[in-house]
Amino acid sequence: MKVLVSGAGGFLGRYVVERLLARGHNVRAIVRSAPTYPEWQNGVEIFRTDLRKSEKLETAFDGIDAVLHLAAATAGDEDVQFSSSVVATEKFLDAMAKSSVKRLVHVSSLVVYDWHHENRILTEDTPLLTNPYGMGSYSIAKMWQERVVAKYAKALGWNFTIMRPGFIWGPGHAAISGMGRHVGRLYLMYGPLTRLPLSHVANCADCLVAAVERPSAVGEVFNVIDSDDIRVWRYVREYKNRTGQTGISVPVPYRFGLALAQLALLISRRLFGPKGRLPSLLTPSRYEAQFKPIRFSTQKLREKLGWSPPLSFDACLNETYRKI
Amino acid sequence: MKSLKSVVIGCGAIAREHLAALKDIKNTEVVAVCDISAAKAEATAERFSIKKWSTGYDELLQETKPNLVHVTTPPSTHFPIAKTCLASGLNVLCEKPITMEYQDFLELKSLAAEAGCMLLENHNIRFHSSIERIRSLIDSGGFGEVLEIQIMVHVNLFGAGSPYVDANVPHFGLALRGGVIGDFLTHIACLTHLFVGPPVDLRTIWAKRTSKSPLPADEFRGLVKGDLVTAYVEFSGNAQPAGFWVRVVGSKMQAETNLYEPPRITFRRFRSGEVAVASLIDGLVEGRDVIKGTTAAFWRKLAGTNRYDGLPQFLSQIYQALGRQEVQPISLDEIDAIARLVDSFTKPELKL
Repeated sequence: MKVLVSGAGGFLGRYVVERLLARGHNVRAIVRSAPTYPEWQNGVEIFRTDLRKSEKLETAFDGIDAVLHLAAATAGDEDVQFSSSVVATEKFLDAMAKSSVKRLVHVSSLVVYDWHHENRILTEDTPLLTNPYGMGSYSIAKMWQERVVAKYAKALGWNFTIMRPGFIWGPGHAAISGMGRHVGRLYLMYGPLTRLPLSHVANCADCLVAAVERPSAVGEVFNVIDSDDIRVWRYVREYKNRTGQTGISVPVPYRFGLALAQLALLISRRLFGPKGRLPSLLTPSRYEAQFKPIRFSTQKLREKLGWSPPLSFDACLNETYRKI
Repeated sequence: MKSLKSVVIGCGAIAREHLAALKDIKNTEVVAVCDISAAKAEATAERFSIKKWSTGYDELLQETKPNLVHVTTPPSTHFPIAKTCLASGLNVLCEKPITMEYQDFLELKSLAAEAGCMLLENHNIRFHSSIERIRSLIDSGGFGEVLEIQIMVHVNLFGAGSPYVDANVPHFGLALRGGVIGDFLTHIACLTHLFVGPPVDLRTIWAKRTSKSPLPADEFRGLVKGDLVTAYVEFSGNAQPAGFWVRVVGSKMQAETNLYEPPRITFRRFRSGEVAVASLIDGLVEGRDVIKGTTAAFWRKLAGTNRYDGLPQFLSQIYQALGRQEVQPISLDEIDAIARLVDSFTKPELKL
């Protein structure tokens, strides 16, 4: 199969390209012109562009069997993220619409779910956010990116799959927001017993490639997580031990942090009405989306896609920290 | 009073500030938003509960016939959009800079005069609460004779992820005269015009301090001489921390404010008597003003006050004028004088 990968120069993109090659596929990798792109072996065709520009994008789809759309911004203000993730996706899919390619796998995120209304197990059936605008730039962009993909795919009759990974971690990206906050020498762990929806970058790449290859993925949505066995305290402990950091871990009970956020919101509403602004940790809905102690199901991944993570947590730890 | 209709063209960050401010203006309704990106337009409509959105403005304007069109697109598109609006007899408020070239502004000015329409550039800085406070003190004689105004804008153009130096997608400001600094010149010119009046002499220095960047310049200095007052103006893309400092020097008093942190403003007055005691009093008063100002600035952030302090007041005055069928709050001739000053900053060879 010849697969077009957008965002191929990014953290996840590089693993995806390597995994596609290992599976015997040919890859056309879309990378930005600057600053650099990875040195891949044979089988990878580099297509340099920035999806925020629409020039010459159509040719990227020539001879392609499937598209893996990973390109998105993970930092920057709301405009930067919306432009890099959503407007770029519109331009990318406009170009795809002019080609004969019909297979699209889009990489979204668990942030699109309405975490407030889920109290037990987060599954693919958990309702999505209806008002993402109070949730921060990344959530707004990922929500709208998914809406755009669904709109194009449905209108044009594409075979599409939405993949929603949890916390993607790996070499150079071991610090995740679910760990809590690092303040000076203190590691504040909000809900130390909370289970983390981890997706190691190598496992995640393997899962995305499986979605491209397997017909059972067509028309489906999958949450991409390895398991929910690992809790915050364990992840932080491994992080500290393996990076040699000497800070003090301070457990903050989840409900205490949530009560603080709810109190802050109450005061803000009383004083300033709906216009009042609060930092992420003191906004209950954003606090919940990072730390809520619920479970995460892998049932659909196993049963529908027939996928389970090739690397165990210990193997992932070794892979992540071996270069440090 | 009958409800006034608005349309916003361009759904970026500045459009959100316009829309947030419009929510608080009585008897106005944003009937539609428009952006070249369907997702941006739809997201903005959803967020601000606006019924209609579109990716094209021609039909939208004919259909909705708004009382005012807010043009919040990148500067290179202001001229054709404003021209279309004025040709249809619609009032226009353009983001700054109103046009890329001064000649284009003159064409719009003439069209607006012929059509009897409002044509405005966003000079919200003039309605900034700290600027209004300083002006009121000048009018009441608090400064004595105003001798000089210093306007200093410091923006980190080269920080991590800076859109100004994105090698993949050039910033829209690069197409302006003076590069991305051109995006800040309108505010600088607006304040210079406000305090100095018509310039009689002007000197500028443009420099590129960070050599490995796509920017034509990252530093700008200027001296503007008016009849009675002089202005020192500065843009630095390297100085930190970021700020928009305005200092007014009078024969009796000096005032300093950071327009990015309203309502912080400090004063130094002439005091007679023992110098050491006067200095101590000055220091204590200044300390009190800093604490008061920064606390209030933090409070305003928590309250979600509009980032552009003067924008709600400016928009309110425009809609008031529209409702009462009065003249626009900033005259076309004043907008012309400011646009001409911006032009002079970037073409120092021009004779004033």
